[in-house]
Amino acid sequence: MNALRDDLATTASAVVAEGGGLRVTPPSVAALGRVVAVLRAHRAPVRVRGNGDAPVEPPAGGALLELVALDRIASLDAATGIARVEAGCSVAALETAARRSVATLGPLLPSVRAGSVGAWLAGPTRGERAIPGARRETAALSVAAVLADGHLAESRAAPRSATGPDLDHLALGGSGRLCVIATAWIRLFPAAPPAYAAWKMPDLPAAVSAVARLCADRLAPARGTLRRQEGGALLALSWEGPESARLVSQRAARALGDPLPVDAGPEVRAPPSAQGLEVDARWAALEEFARRPDSAEMALYGMHAGGAFAVLSLASEGVEQCAAAARSIGASVVAPRRLREVASPWTEMGAGGIWRRLVTALGAEEAA
Amino acid sequence: MTGPLRGAGPRGRALERDLSALLGSGAASCSPADLWATSRDCWPRALLWTKASVAPHPPDVVAWPASTAEVAQVVRYAAERQVAVVPFGAGSGVCGGTVPVKGGIALDLKRLSGPPALDLPARTVDVEAGTNGQRLEELLGGAGATVGHFPSSIYCSTVGGWLAARSAGQLSSRYGKIEDMVLAIEAVDGTGEVLRTQDAPAAGPDLVQLLVGSEGTLGVITKARLRCWPAPSSRWMRGLRFRSVEAGVLGLRALMRSGLRPAVARLYDPLDTLLAGRGGGEARAAVPEPLRWIADGAQTEALRLALRAPALLNRLVDALPSASLLVLGFEGDGPFGEADAREDGELALRLLDGEGAEDLGSAPGEKWLANRYRISYRQSPLFSAGAFVDTMDVATTWDRLGVLYHSVREAVAEHAFVMAHFSHAYLEGCSIYFTFVGLAGAPAGASDADDLEAAEARYDACWNAALSAACDAGATLSHHHGVGLHKQVFLAREHGEGMRQLRALKQAFDPRGILNPGKLLL
Repeated sequence: MNALRDDLATTASAVVAEGGGLRVTPPSVAALGRVVAVLRAHRAPVRVRGNGDAPVEPPAGGALLELVALDRIASLDAATGIARVEAGCSVAALETAARRSVATLGPLLPSVRAGSVGAWLAGPTRGERAIPGARRETAALSVAAVLADGHLAESRAAPRSATGPDLDHLALGGSGRLCVIATAWIRLFPAAPPAYAAWKMPDLPAAVSAVARLCADRLAPARGTLRRQEGGALLALSWEGPESARLVSQRAARALGDPLPVDAGPEVRAPPSAQGLEVDARWAALEEFARRPDSAEMALYGMHAGGAFAVLSLASEGVEQCAAAARSIGASVVAPRRLREVASPWTEMGAGGIWRRLVTALGAEEAA
Repeated sequence: MTGPLRGAGPRGRALERDLSALLGSGAASCSPADLWATSRDCWPRALLWTKASVAPHPPDVVAWPASTAEVAQVVRYAAERQVAVVPFGAGSGVCGGTVPVKGGIALDLKRLSGPPALDLPARTVDVEAGTNGQRLEELLGGAGATVGHFPSSIYCSTVGGWLAARSAGQLSSRYGKIEDMVLAIEAVDGTGEVLRTQDAPAAGPDLVQLLVGSEGTLGVITKARLRCWPAPSSRWMRGLRFRSVEAGVLGLRALMRSGLRPAVARLYDPLDTLLAGRGGGEARAAVPEPLRWIADGAQTEALRLALRAPALLNRLVDALPSASLLVLGFEGDGPFGEADAREDGELALRLLDGEGAEDLGSAPGEKWLANRYRISYRQSPLFSAGAFVDTMDVATTWDRLGVLYHSVREAVAEHAFVMAHFSHAYLEGCSIYFTFVGLAGAPAGASDADDLEAAEARYDACWNAALSAACDAGATLSHHHGVGLHKQVFLAREHGEGMRQLRALKQAFDPRGILNPGKLLL
């Protein structure tokens, strides 16, 4: 550990011993590159944390990379819809800056909104959010990631490309295992008042089914609240898009019937249960979850033709039991972080060997 | 090699014998015709080879596996013997991606074309990699569904090829590119292992997005699950005129950022607008004679004469009226399809009116729709006359689009006649599709090895200038054509340190380096 600490001292980063490991705070992207190179050379386990991310201890014999100083928003252009931002910047700070320019990141899961840009992109959602047309795409137009040898690999900031595999996907969803995200170009939507509508549904599964049907018909809402209530369930939805929100909400009303004569805005905007479990799930799984008698409420984000991000909760059970129930129907846990799946990536796809060879070829280590 | 393609050598005959034993009689061949057919794709440079009766890179053998298991057998066999395997769909690529530069086995996947399994309520279809694009749409259309992927090569391309090269269809603004449509993939890696990604939320990096676009260098894609949708019941088409291409780009950007999702949004630069008579009224009559020779594939000598002075031709273009045409289309499905498409369209018209667009009515849009695949099949006369025609698909963000357009035009002006349109628009940017027409060499029948060498030099000079300008403008080298042999010289400029990641992927997926070697700089 002393040798590691000595080497890290040459990187112009703050290094503090804590528990059985080190807390390292690089002041710049260049310093981050030097730090990663040192850590990989020592084969030290690494954790990464940015502004807004939950406190975490350094791994034993390794380092916690604190990216709190990498919090700059280098540029933000609402007209073209792009921001260049460092990975340690909090998502909330980026959204605040975007809003000042009449732009937005769109509705995001509470854990995503509370954390850093780096954690969002490297986490299980891979930075994905819904886009018009009932599809999802990552918010990262381009990623600059530090490789094991400290070099910075940065993709071209283009809306799409066909220049081989999408190398950003070695960083997106990778939890810092293969490379560490340093900066990113983030896509922004124009900010405009949403359109809201609410309906009374026979029950919670029917409400889920109704949203799934809207998504299958390209009428995907931006956000939804589904709540069991006396004699049925409330379905409250919002749509975004300067020109399209009103149009699509009217078509949803055509499909679901006349909405309730209420302002659905407060229902949609109300934060979901703080004890909720965040998952990525297909519609059939969400409908099955809604059939549980103790399933009382659901908040939906990132809705697309195949499924959604959802905040789930059970009236009589804790979040651990909720996670077990969600997993049993094929949902993938996003938050809380401690309940995420820890299996080696790709194994169930018959690609466990590829993953191991990739880790070796990149000189990377399994994250702590 | 020059002259007619020779028959197989001893290595090819041995491979044919072994692969026939593996896959069954008739599932492998090293006949000259089969070797020639898989020695090239639709890369214009390969058309110059054909014109000169040259096939520089034939495979040793062609194999036709009929299942994923057979693909895995062939790959394992090849890996044991260190023989190259080059996946081949329908050969519609335009970058030489399937040219077997190291010989080996051309793995023709057309027999992987069983009936697609459609689940329209779930909005998915499972389809084998060798399935022809048009055939897929016909089968889905019979069930009231569509994938919505309509590349201009749809008649001569396969699902596997679309995925391998990150293809885009003409309606991508509504349906997305192929990487937006694919939900899961089955593939065989370079060790012969079969991997199947899941159409379900999963932890870790997205394996699908690492395989898509890998151009056969990481795995042989054998099957895919794609998103599908109800087929449209109605289309609303329109043409709109902007005073300049710059005004048109601003209009296109405003449209895409409004939240509306057109099926078609294609902005033609002033020359492209005039040549196709899309400018309305007497627009086409305003095109000077030498430019019309090119558009019409005119008499050989007249065309060759014009192409000897590309800079002059391009200066003529600068003197033309500057109006640019936007072809716009919306789709609707279900019982309200017609009303929805019209409502979207009229909202877009109001929005674009504020951007200075003039409504030309439905005729330009309907004309585009009726002729949308024809351009790909009109190039042969130009090649026969001694010209080359090629297209470059680059993309960037809205803020750099103008610089990209002008800098590529300027860079290519000395080498070829150039025009462009802007298509595949997104919230953050757009692709530009440049068309180059240059002088290659002698007309068909008079081309020989020396003429080919000179033609290739002219062709390369044009492309080097174009790609270099695109790189300098910050654009990606390819939006949907892929890299192939053609663009890989510039790949390191595109990826920089990312080349280390690309090489690591190769080591992980194909440790013996047998899959499509010599592509993507791998």
